[in-house]
Amino acid sequence: MLPASGYKGCHRMLTPPELVWLLAAVAKGDEAAFARLYAATRAKLYGVVVRILRREDLADEVMQEAYLKIWHGAGQFDPLRASPITWMVAIARNRAIDLLRRRSEASIEEEPEAMEVATDSPDPLARRELNEEIQRLLACIGRLPPERQRLVLLAYYNGWSRDQLAAELETPVNTIKTWLRRSLLEIRECLDHG
Amino acid sequence: MADEDFDALAAEYVLGTLTAEERDAVERLAAKDSGFAGRIAAWERRLGTLEAMVEPVEPPPELWSRIRERIAEADPEAALRLPEVVAAARNGAAGNVVVLARRVRRWRGIAVLTGAMAAALVLAAGIERYRPDLLPPDLRLPVETKVVETVVERVVEKVVEVPQPAPPPQGRFVAVLQRDAGAPAFLLTVDLDRRTLTVRRVTPPEAGKSHELWLVSDRFPAPRSLGLVGAGEFTRPPALAAYDAATINGATYAISLEPEGGSPTGAPTGPVLFTGKLVEAVPPPPRP
Repeated sequence: MLPASGYKGCHRMLTPPELVWLLAAVAKGDEAAFARLYAATRAKLYGVVVRILRREDLADEVMQEAYLKIWHGAGQFDPLRASPITWMVAIARNRAIDLLRRRSEASIEEEPEAMEVATDSPDPLARRELNEEIQRLLACIGRLPPERQRLVLLAYYNGWSRDQLAAELETPVNTIKTWLRRSLLEIRECLDHG
Repeated sequence: MADEDFDALAAEYVLGTLTAEERDAVERLAAKDSGFAGRIAAWERRLGTLEAMVEPVEPPPELWSRIRERIAEADPEAALRLPEVVAAARNGAAGNVVVLARRVRRWRGIAVLTGAMAAALVLAAGIERYRPDLLPPDLRLPVETKVVETVVERVVEKVVEVPQPAPPPQGRFVAVLQRDAGAPAFLLTVDLDRRTLTVRRVTPPEAGKSHELWLVSDRFPAPRSLGLVGAGEFTRPPALAAYDAATINGATYAISLEPEGGSPTGAPTGPVLFTGKLVEAVPPPPRP
């Protein structure tokens, strides 16, 4: 049995089976379960979207849409195909990137309320307790040449477009395109066939 | 486009580097083509683990009330979706359901309790498939809802006085096999309609040993073997077809560590490492 613990106000990440249970209850329309799911996952999802959007108002909007979609779509979550947190993060992250791309003409960086969020990618070595899956993924990313490692991590964590990546890495956008494609297929090869 | 191109497109969609136009096109394609949607899902699994390195950031406290408002707008009856009780009404208890619905609507004023109440209604209605005793204490209803639960129970008792037996359980069930509060070691998914069982291995195999899956039911004097769990991520033991839905639904599932090739005696010989019971994962579609 799982230990009882207070969840109110804290954002202790629940274990995957706890989240699977909560999602199953949410799929039945259980609002109490939804409140617990929110309490357990809000800081992770907000961390992902605020890093990409760098504006509190936009992050707020995306979080509302994401949790609305989670409320309605919990029945579609398949525990065999995804971990619950990965599934939820993908929903929030996709909305954040959609919003970012739609707004790309109005440059977000130049708007006055833009938040200060570090643009460096999180340092893998500074993190502990990484599970086996992410260790494998990082090992595969680590096999790429250094500039392509940066490319993939900047794209994932900051939600940057090819144009933004080209500017940051001072590399023509066509080269970025080629690098992205090659890097992703190499990661797939490495993950799927060791 | 070549196969490789489709996969690269799905990958870039998941990574997030496509333009707004390209993202729209990808979403349209995924909606039409389940194979392509599967490629996206596969990439979400490959790259999705990167979230583990993102530092959590606490959102503003008022965000939760805004989410609740959005849900209420989109779906005013959100907290009170009770397909099972409505289904019972078709069998002749319609009048009582109207009374229940009216009372329920009055209760909705107690906003704090609404969600818990909806759950309590389902619980009290004696829905066979809803098994709160299977939930860890952490996930059970908070104590303060007990009073409401008792009231609701009395009303619901009337509603569910239907001559017909409860429909047989169907839908998809999942069991998380774990030890104590440890991380999940195996995930079982059961499709009761098709009697199929899929085991997903989360814990690594042990050299020179085999993990064997058992069905433990009070209908049988001893555990029944459901076969060995392979070393790969997914195993589909065929043995479940031999059991009826009620047995499958009520059983405990256990994994023991056996000599390579499985138990030599037909009963578990090694330590039982992980156990779990089924909980409903994907409910049947809501009735109209």
